Amino acid sequence: MSQVNRLASGGRVDRSQPLTFSFNGQSYQGFAGDTLAAALLANGVDIVGRSFKYSRPRGIVAAGAEEPNAVLQIGSTEAAQIPNVRATQQALYAGLVASSTNGWPSVNTDLMGILGKVGGKMMPPGFYYKTFMYPQNLWLTYEKYIRKAAGLGRAPTAVDPDSYDYMNQHCDVLVVGAGPAGLAAALAAARSGARVILADEQEEFGGSLLSTRETLDGKPAADWAAQVITELSGMPEVTLLPRSTVNGYHDHNFLTIHQRLTDHLGEIAPLGMVRQRMHRVRATRVVLATGAHERPLVYANNDVPGNMLADAVSTYVRRYGVAPGKQLVLSTNNDYAYRVVLDWLDAGLQVVAVADARSNPRGSWVEEARKRGVRILTGSAVVEAAGSKRVTAARICAIDVQSHKVSSPGEVLDCDLIVSSGGYSPVVHLASHLGGRPTWREDILAFVPGEGGFQKRLCAGAVNGVFGLGDALADGFEAGVSAAAEAGFKAVSASLPQVAVRLEEPSLALFQVPHDKPTARAPKQFVDLQNDVTAAGIELATREGFESVEHVKRYTALGFGTDQGKLGNINGLAIAARSLGISIPQMGTTMFRPNYTPVTFGAVAGRHCGALFEPKRYTAMQSWHLQNGAEFEDVGQWKRPWYFPKAGEDLHAAVARECLAVRNAVGILDASTLGKIDIQGPDAREFLNRVYSNAWTKLDVGKARYGLMCKEDGMVFDDGVTACLADNHFLMTTTTGGAARVMEWLEIYHQTEWPELKVYFTSVTDHWATMTLSGPNSRKLLAEVTDIDLDKDAFPFMTWKEGQVGGVPARVFRISFTGELSYEVNVQADYALGVWEKIIEAGKKHGLTPYGTETMHELRAEKGFIIVGQDTDGSVTPDDLNMGWCVGRTKPFSWIGWRGMNREDSLREDRKQLIGLKPVDPNKVLPEGAQLVFDPKQTVPMQMVGHVTSSYMSVALGYSFAMGVVKGGLKRMGERVFAPLADGSLIEAEIVSSVFYDPKGDRQNV
Amino acid sequence: MSNLINVYQQRPAAAHAESPLFHAGLEQLAGKGSARAGVTVREKKLLGHLTLRGDAKDPAFAGGVHKALGLELPVALTLVAAGDTSLQWLAPDEWLLIVPSGSEFAVEQKLREALEGQHISIVNVSGGQTLLELTGPKVREVLMKSTSYDVHPSNFPAGKAVGTHFAKSQLVIRHTAEDTWELLIRRSFSDYFWLWLQDASAEFGLAIKA
Repeated sequence: MSQVNRLASGGRVDRSQPLTFSFNGQSYQGFAGDTLAAALLANGVDIVGRSFKYSRPRGIVAAGAEEPNAVLQIGSTEAAQIPNVRATQQALYAGLVASSTNGWPSVNTDLMGILGKVGGKMMPPGFYYKTFMYPQNLWLTYEKYIRKAAGLGRAPTAVDPDSYDYMNQHCDVLVVGAGPAGLAAALAAARSGARVILADEQEEFGGSLLSTRETLDGKPAADWAAQVITELSGMPEVTLLPRSTVNGYHDHNFLTIHQRLTDHLGEIAPLGMVRQRMHRVRATRVVLATGAHERPLVYANNDVPGNMLADAVSTYVRRYGVAPGKQLVLSTNNDYAYRVVLDWLDAGLQVVAVADARSNPRGSWVEEARKRGVRILTGSAVVEAAGSKRVTAARICAIDVQSHKVSSPGEVLDCDLIVSSGGYSPVVHLASHLGGRPTWREDILAFVPGEGGFQKRLCAGAVNGVFGLGDALADGFEAGVSAAAEAGFKAVSASLPQVAVRLEEPSLALFQVPHDKPTARAPKQFVDLQNDVTAAGIELATREGFESVEHVKRYTALGFGTDQGKLGNINGLAIAARSLGISIPQMGTTMFRPNYTPVTFGAVAGRHCGALFEPKRYTAMQSWHLQNGAEFEDVGQWKRPWYFPKAGEDLHAAVARECLAVRNAVGILDASTLGKIDIQGPDAREFLNRVYSNAWTKLDVGKARYGLMCKEDGMVFDDGVTACLADNHFLMTTTTGGAARVMEWLEIYHQTEWPELKVYFTSVTDHWATMTLSGPNSRKLLAEVTDIDLDKDAFPFMTWKEGQVGGVPARVFRISFTGELSYEVNVQADYALGVWEKIIEAGKKHGLTPYGTETMHELRAEKGFIIVGQDTDGSVTPDDLNMGWCVGRTKPFSWIGWRGMNREDSLREDRKQLIGLKPVDPNKVLPEGAQLVFDPKQTVPMQMVGHVTSSYMSVALGYSFAMGVVKGGLKRMGERVFAPLADGSLIEAEIVSSVFYDPKGDRQNV
Repeated sequence: MSNLINVYQQRPAAAHAESPLFHAGLEQLAGKGSARAGVTVREKKLLGHLTLRGDAKDPAFAGGVHKALGLELPVALTLVAAGDTSLQWLAPDEWLLIVPSGSEFAVEQKLREALEGQHISIVNVSGGQTLLELTGPKVREVLMKSTSYDVHPSNFPAGKAVGTHFAKSQLVIRHTAEDTWELLIRRSFSDYFWLWLQDASAEFGLAIKA
């Protein structure tokens, strides 16, 4: 069976390039230029899937984005699986592997189909809500089986081998859709000199021009399209985006376009190519030329394969050279649909009959068909299709549209293809994304885009209800001129091709075709094929009291899923309106949201995945850390060495070793990540007084001081050491995670509250690299690499000196976060690694050990030094931390936090206060975060009085210890608290001072 | 010079220096990339970077700057250059001065002398940032992949410089000549930006210039 439905000639496919592909395991051949749907139809494949709920066989209905049935799974390997691809939008390529997404064991013999036939009667809308609601705890069980029985494609389980990215675009005019109106609009705007982007979802620009039988200037319409595209592609300010679906219209004329760069070449992008690209466009003006979707008529068994849209059949015949049948019956209410009859005759095929619901149609195309001998049954419609896996006949009856009745028994005509056309539904999706309600036009029986409101857009062509070719071209050109003019460009005059003038008669309002039986008893009349919503289902919904269109939608699933109501929406609400006895505009329409068609997750993620998922910040010593086996910890975006394990060591062993090295010899820490802010100006000191809780007036040049920073509410939000470099010059350090926050904080207060203070702040975090030497041997070690006098009187604790370290100019700060004798060496980052390596080399004989953040955390906790964000949580005052010594209670100018920390609530004596916790069992380590209670025997829920903030096993102390907050804790020294743990065990601890090690500070002052 | 500010030569006379992208080994990669590269990257490394703050509305400030540098203060979103020295507007009271490597200490002293008595700030930030020069026919595409700022010449002519969002971080984009752009990146983010640029340029071909 080789392309049984391929016409001998015609179409835009390249017959010299046959392509082999497979569908449901069977091999077929198509041609380059085919869509997958065209190739399947060419091969006579009738059934492409099974329906969602009733498991009925389904075939291809449409030729574009509105296709409801041919939603397939593509991919020959697990990694290349692509779910929910519309066969009508997928270009054929050699080796394409596709399969149906529904239907087990196969689409042709589906076991579910039998169940569906039985189950159909039992599965009215709301079935799931009604049946599986109770008992609630069984829902998880139900859900598993429902999901298995239904659903569309599946996601790949292997890693996606392709890459995706974003492109940020800006333009004066974005034209959406490259059909007649869109091409004309783009041409007008581009000729005026505007920056224009033209995006179209199809493989080729041209839209209906590629398949219409109409001519422009007496030549095929596609010729004009080619000529316009050539002109546009030669213009430098024009960007042409084929295979690009404008999926979302967002605020401030921001639109997202999903471009498929290589999906027509294969399932995986060729090496070096990006598979899909998300264009994020900011457009001054937008012209929506999104066209219209033909609306099917709703009649009995209208889902049997072989029921198709009229326009789609024209497209298959003329654009792809494929005739999806032999004997055609058309059911319509309008003139445009007669084009398919003429196209069918031109292809040498048989037209059985046309059923026209109108009583006396006399339009030009109608007459042409009549002249060619086509049998036209007026006042009639196809009422019911016959056949199960393929249409075998159509029953045409005379109908009375007014009373919605069949008025003759009708006749049954043998045929294998029923095409229907109920008119056109403008594609108003994008125009509605921002909330603009479409408005109903009775003259064309369609919703057109409503007022643009805050969208700066125009609509042109079929989306505007302008369906005739000549009118659409003119409408498009005018929209292009206006859009360019609104964007500030000069208008150009129109030069459009001539279109033959025809008599076109209005269509007749027909949506659901009446049947001899009431809707509920007649064979199923499908409204939404993808979601298996029937006319009877909608009537049932209205009978059950659902009157709002939004409720009807949700109760029946009309317009759900990937379909988004493209084919069924208008028919569905027309049926609901009739059932409720109201008009269509009274019924209104549902709203549309992005995306217009599904977008791959890859395109949404772009390049922000894998190594590029999040910026990683490194210090100048990173290469050394890597070479020396560091494990890393994330601190904000920084990667900081966490610990440096030796062979066989785990975290605890390594940290125990590192801690002892610092306490007994000397350790080195990369402290470059601490925030550093250079502060200059005569009012720098006064500024510090106002942002820190403590006093800075008397800090001499050459000295450094620890400071606490509070928010207005008096709660601690950052801390660090600030040094006085000169009378008008300070260097502030902040926490690693707080650096940007503090910088902003200083600028905000300076710019908004105290602009009169003469002070400037500049971040120097990245300029300085900082290495901390800590431990009793640090002085001896540093002395070997510096010219600075390290004598304890010449260079005492909390001062800084300038000099050479390792041959590089440095500022050295004698400050300590470990409680040991410590020096922080700061050099320009470009030279830091060399200095670091010199210190490491010199340190060998002093027992120098590199240590990471975990050791730093433990050592500082032994000293009771807080870590903002670990021991504080935005609800602790300096007094709560027992750091009242760091509050300048007599500073003349009020400072940030002073008022807040003096509120009644901030002064309560039973606030949670920071204390030390010593477990009674020295080997038990309290879990950080554990809640604390005074009485462990009370019943659950217990009264919680605090929690553990930091907790470690200390090698230096020989026992476990912790810091935590406890209500009124500072007055409870010596009392016991209990941590009841999730496993039922209990850890008892004594409340002690938070300073465990060297409480007098002898070690850091040596 | 007053001793109100602690100013000293921070760059050693002779010591091994590692620019922020030292670890990427750009010198070894030079000449090994695509022969017909759409994008060519060069790190303009180890230059002197000074952040200058002052009152733009004070003629004495602009005058002092001109006296010391021979450059007019650039207006918002622009930069001016003379030889190897460039001065870029960063904020209403903030400029970035880039000078040849090693001259930053002398330039700072000269500026401080010319601005004596004014409330200003000059901070050496040379170790904290670097410049990446991008040239080639596809640079604009790479920038479009990376930033939502409009880099079309009608909005971003040569001579303009903008601090903006780039990938998932921030940097400064400088358009220095028709086909030449510069990215001013912070040291700690340089690895991320380098990875990003390699990735974004891959489809156009990337070459490295030493």
